[in-house]
Amino acid sequence: MSTAITLDINGRTVAGEAEPRTHLADFLREELLLTGTHLGCEQGVCGACTVFVDGRPVRACLTLAHACDGQSVRTVEGFDDDALMARLRDAFKTHHGLQCGFCTPGMLATAYDIVRRLPQADTARIRRELSGNLCRCTGYHGIVAAIEAVLAEGPPPAALVPTAHRSRMPREAPADVPAPERTAAVADGPASVLKPFAAYPAADALTGEATLARSITIDAPCEAVWAMVENPKTIAAAIPGAHLDALGEDGTLRGHLEVALGPMRARFAGVGAMRLDPAGRQGELRGEGQDRLSRTGLAAALAFTLAPREDGGTQLSFTATYALNGPLAQFGRPALVAAAADRILEEAIASIARRARGEEAAPAPRRLGGFALLVGIVRDAFARALRGRRP
Amino acid sequence: MPVRPPQREGDVLSASDAADAPAGHPHSPPPRGVGARLPRKEDDRFLAGKGRYVGDIRLAGMVELAFLRSPVAHGILRAAHKPVGAQDAVFLAEDLAGVHGIRADSGLPGFQSSVQPILASDRVRHVGELIAAAIADTRAAAEDLAEAVAIDIDPLPALHDMTRARDAGAPILHEGWTENAFLETRIETGLEAAIEGAAAVVKRTYRTARQCMAPIEGRGCVAVWDGNLEMLILYSATQMPHIVRSGLAECLGLEEGQVRVVAPDVGGGFGYKGILLAEEVCASALALKLGRPVRWLEDRREHLVAGANCREHAYEITGYAAADGELLAVDCAALVDSGAYSAYPFSACLEAAQVTSILPGPYTMRGYRCSAVSVATNKPPILPYRGVARTGVCFAMELVMDALAAELGLPPEAIRARNLVPPEAMPFTNITNKYFDSGDYPQALRRAVEALDLDSLRAAAPKEGPKRRGVGLAIFCEQGAHGTSVYHGWGIPMVPGFEQATARLTPDGGLELRVGVHSHGQGLETTLAQIAHETLGIDPARVKLVHGDTALTPYSTGTWGSRCGVMAGGAVAAACTTLAERVKRIAAHLLQADPADVEIGDGLARAGSASVRLADVAYTFYRAPQNLPADVDRRGLEASEGYRTVKDTGTFSYACHAVSVEVDIETGDIALLDYVIVEDAGTMINPMIVDGQVYGGAVQGIGTALFEEMRYDGAGQPLASTLADYHLPVAADIPPIRIIHMATPSPLSRFGQKGIGESGAIGPPAAIANAVNDALRPLGARVASLPMTPEAVRAALAAAGAEAGA
Amino acid sequence: MKPAPFAYRPATSLADAQRALAADADAKLSAGNQSLGPMLNLRLARPGALIDIAGLAELRAVTDSGGAVRIGAGFTHAEIEDGEAPDPTLGWLRAAAGAIAHRAVRNRGTLGGSLAHADPAADWVIVMAGLGANLVLAGTNGERVVPADAFVTGPFETVLRADEMIVAVEIAKPSPGARWGYWKYTRQVGEFAKASATVLDDPAAGRQRCALGALGGAPVVLADGAGLIEGRVDPDGAVRAALAGRVADPQLHVVALRRALAAAKQAEAAQ
Repeated sequence: MSTAITLDINGRTVAGEAEPRTHLADFLREELLLTGTHLGCEQGVCGACTVFVDGRPVRACLTLAHACDGQSVRTVEGFDDDALMARLRDAFKTHHGLQCGFCTPGMLATAYDIVRRLPQADTARIRRELSGNLCRCTGYHGIVAAIEAVLAEGPPPAALVPTAHRSRMPREAPADVPAPERTAAVADGPASVLKPFAAYPAADALTGEATLARSITIDAPCEAVWAMVENPKTIAAAIPGAHLDALGEDGTLRGHLEVALGPMRARFAGVGAMRLDPAGRQGELRGEGQDRLSRTGLAAALAFTLAPREDGGTQLSFTATYALNGPLAQFGRPALVAAAADRILEEAIASIARRARGEEAAPAPRRLGGFALLVGIVRDAFARALRGRRP
Repeated sequence: MPVRPPQREGDVLSASDAADAPAGHPHSPPPRGVGARLPRKEDDRFLAGKGRYVGDIRLAGMVELAFLRSPVAHGILRAAHKPVGAQDAVFLAEDLAGVHGIRADSGLPGFQSSVQPILASDRVRHVGELIAAAIADTRAAAEDLAEAVAIDIDPLPALHDMTRARDAGAPILHEGWTENAFLETRIETGLEAAIEGAAAVVKRTYRTARQCMAPIEGRGCVAVWDGNLEMLILYSATQMPHIVRSGLAECLGLEEGQVRVVAPDVGGGFGYKGILLAEEVCASALALKLGRPVRWLEDRREHLVAGANCREHAYEITGYAAADGELLAVDCAALVDSGAYSAYPFSACLEAAQVTSILPGPYTMRGYRCSAVSVATNKPPILPYRGVARTGVCFAMELVMDALAAELGLPPEAIRARNLVPPEAMPFTNITNKYFDSGDYPQALRRAVEALDLDSLRAAAPKEGPKRRGVGLAIFCEQGAHGTSVYHGWGIPMVPGFEQATARLTPDGGLELRVGVHSHGQGLETTLAQIAHETLGIDPARVKLVHGDTALTPYSTGTWGSRCGVMAGGAVAAACTTLAERVKRIAAHLLQADPADVEIGDGLARAGSASVRLADVAYTFYRAPQNLPADVDRRGLEASEGYRTVKDTGTFSYACHAVSVEVDIETGDIALLDYVIVEDAGTMINPMIVDGQVYGGAVQGIGTALFEEMRYDGAGQPLASTLADYHLPVAADIPPIRIIHMATPSPLSRFGQKGIGESGAIGPPAAIANAVNDALRPLGARVASLPMTPEAVRAALAAAGAEAGA
Repeated sequence: MKPAPFAYRPATSLADAQRALAADADAKLSAGNQSLGPMLNLRLARPGALIDIAGLAELRAVTDSGGAVRIGAGFTHAEIEDGEAPDPTLGWLRAAAGAIAHRAVRNRGTLGGSLAHADPAADWVIVMAGLGANLVLAGTNGERVVPADAFVTGPFETVLRADEMIVAVEIAKPSPGARWGYWKYTRQVGEFAKASATVLDDPAAGRQRCALGALGGAPVVLADGAGLIEGRVDPDGAVRAALAGRVADPQLHVVALRRALAAAKQAEAAQ
């Protein structure tokens, strides 16, 4: 739902309407038709949308329009009478600091900030300060040369300067802006069909997989531990965020897994099946599911083996193999994945161990950083590292 | 932040001053014609934020389009269900009945053809493929709808690695195919005889990474049906509006007269904006269906996930040399990952077919064999990216040259000098029948070696410690502006012929130029005005370039292949020359002079001491026809001419890149310390713009060398979806690049100019890899694949350490 | 991509923000929105509501208690970089702030926001742990103080309770002559660090700390900081021992510690 905001845009008071989710760049472009502010990524990286808010350059794609209520915004369209900007524009032209022109408004904003803030900047400093603005055409040469030239000439003073921080005390009745209603209900997907165990992919058939392995000693007899792990309910209870919704006689099951990684959340609904080998004290759980909104798919196989120890305890070995597809698979922070995956696995095993020892079941695990496990794109290095740690 | 260039003075050694235009009259204004470093006419609007890109277009009643894309690389699409209550706002394949998929076949024998669906109906073949389209008043609301669509896909095993896509048992990607390859091409000449008695034989495996071209502006379009004209108008961020028009008309079943494609300002292309997109076809089909304007703007996530479509090559290459360094032969088997479909118009096989024909580079050799396969995989369809196949082949060839040099104990510059085509042999037909038009390749090498001061750098390279240094070279030539004779053989939907231009004097004495190519950073509004000045004497400020609109411009295959300066430049010169003759006749009448005595320049037509302004001539023709001569040319002051080069085998620009690097062997980081490019673009129309193309291209090449890589997991999932994961070069990564111009005119083009747009992007991976390997050689390590990430360098060092320890 | 819908609530006071946070389990605090923003735009984060605390004066308070300074969590990185917020260290905070992301991000991103986001690769997470700083957390039940090196528990995971927020960071003033080294491995300016290390050498105050960051989860304070600083302990062995079972390849972290140690030594030479 859109509600009103009032901003000073390029020296004019402008009232407009924006949804809470509308970022400043879209507000400028779509509501005010100030299309000089360009969007190159909406991920906070490319800098094409750089504008000034209260005199400071900011990413307009990471700045909500509502967060600028009552503030002052200056875009590339608002520098007509600005001597420093005029000088920069001349220099960009003289030094061929632009080709297609798409990054140019953001570059000019950053260049303006460099010149007024760092009058002594050398080439290396200029290049470092420019590194938050991507240009794909010029190779940066002409842009750096233009800024160097303006600094060398002794630029005119900047007319636009940062205003002192204002504690933005909201107006008398702070306006809560409710989220808009969805325009349509999410379509019902095909009901996941319960399948027999053999119909799910085995660990070695999961492509793009991450394998995590752990082995721990549990201070409880093998029978007690087996009683825990042969029961899908106990396993589900041990995995943070897992919920068992239905359990069939033949080991088929339906459930969901809620995972979170910081502000990111996913809810995988899926089906699976379990197969046990009581004689060999081993079992395997296989399943697959999907997070409906992010459209991330997850397939997994969990294998465990118990072995009695001489000291009367039990050695529990646990291998989890996951494969992900869709948006949550498409990231590149392997260290995060490794750490989060460790945490969820550790939590699950510790929970099983506690229960096997007859300790009070831990409170239902909250959604834990299993998301990363799922984010777990499974880089080779990561998979190798964890495999290498199998005892 | 290790790539911190040292500060340097005077880092441009441009020969531009020497290349300035021929001197005019003693008191004439500064040169503005061919060779002038004229500031760009287009800059003012961009600097004011007043460029108009496709995303800036809003039309009354317009809806925003968002797509649901395949989350899996390969699968059977069982079903898709529209969100409840959104039956009229969400569209599936069944809603686009009558719309044809995109087909770009090659006429080469053995080509297996594919059809790229507009919306997938039964099978998906790469992550990001379109499944459903949703419209709403805002993009955010359209995305709300798209994510509410339910889909049911049975995954199939994915072809994620081209080297395994043709294994026995691999799933076949398209019905009726026999193997996962669009085409295999092969050239062989004299190999067996040539390699006899070779003193050095080196066999290497090289790989280049899959990349995203990543213009800062994504693709995008606004489609609208104009009921009055009975015409679909597609505003599109495209480099090739006329080609898009033909392809779009085919897909929609419209006559081309019912389709108008307009390319407004375009925020960088690099080849990515050279194809027909399924998204454009879908937006157009929906505009027809709904009677409302439909806008789709590609976001960065879409670009990275669904648009990783270039550069991925694999080489098994063997070089043979004699003891004195003579290159005897090269034998190579190459694979190109062409992705899932053959893209329109270049097809899936252009890149691989080029590999076989251009691998020999600027060298002579006695024998040659090369095969190249366009492998089909579950990745986005391959497109020609700036440099096209050249960046990969230069990497393979130049690394083999260094390997041979090392094997023979020769300096890298010596083996190159031994085998480059000598200037006295020009024009030269090489082993694959490429016709090198002109140039002095050995001189480019010498000048690069001198400018970088290779010997001093080598002597100063530290032999111990964590920071090692190395120097590297790469030399190559680039065919550009090649025409019919080259392209017709491939039998693809686009074969360039004559390039057309229209020149028209306006009643107030200005000049309109209409060209079918498109300018999206190349500065054609300026360079073509300079050519008009050169041929018609008109002030470039009075020249208006009309481009990017099929309704307003002559047909052209568009902007690609480093062709605009040569082809559109030649066409504009031809049209202006024709126009000049007509101006002279009218002027002669007004001046009471013989037409043969009339000269034009500086906005005037002169006969002896008398002159009239061009504006007077134009005014007379349009508004005072009573003053025209009786035999005035009735075609008036508007001339259209077609142009092609003397031979259409292409101009060959060339360059030698020389780089000095520092490798941090603890982190694996590579810092570029100095970078020299000696390049020959023939006659430069605007040296400032040539420099800009070379700087920009080189930095893209540095991205290929060091940063850019779209990796895939075993399920065909792309492993980057943001610019925080897919790294583009930033200002601090780049050293001060020094450009040294040579200017050997091409005998084939109008002014001697050569295509130079792609050149910069070709050399950096090879030069940098050779420099890194030079630095690592004492440690026994070497890199052989791109990009050279710190992880890759550390892995190479670890492998060398393991080998040394074994 | 555009964010999924959410509600927006500008908080009027600290108490107001805490009440709002406690009342809505699906709400997220937002100050500069520089870390959350990309996740919102990619629809990876889908909070029901954003509680905007950027304007709260309470988060900009500064208290000097003699031995330590409390800095409000609401200061932006750029304000710290520019010296507009106090730097009780010898310029170390300013230098660290200046190396965070890019200036346009630093102009909105805040000290507290970055810490609470708890990206393991973030600068303040390792710097505050390395300095031995304390974080002041406030919830509906009042304030508590936790050491910065115990604040992050995993990737994007902290000890913050559902109704809590960081209100300030408490940093001890170093003794005159204390030294500091901070080295992070980033290949490109502004990108996430792949390894980082800090060295605090303040023997007069009995504080000699070496810490490692960008480990994928919580930072690690090495056991024998004094031994490492005084050259009695081999950094290679110390890092490998501390990270055993946690990091596949400790090589970069060893390099980070060595270079942070060298930076601290050089700082001495420069004084």
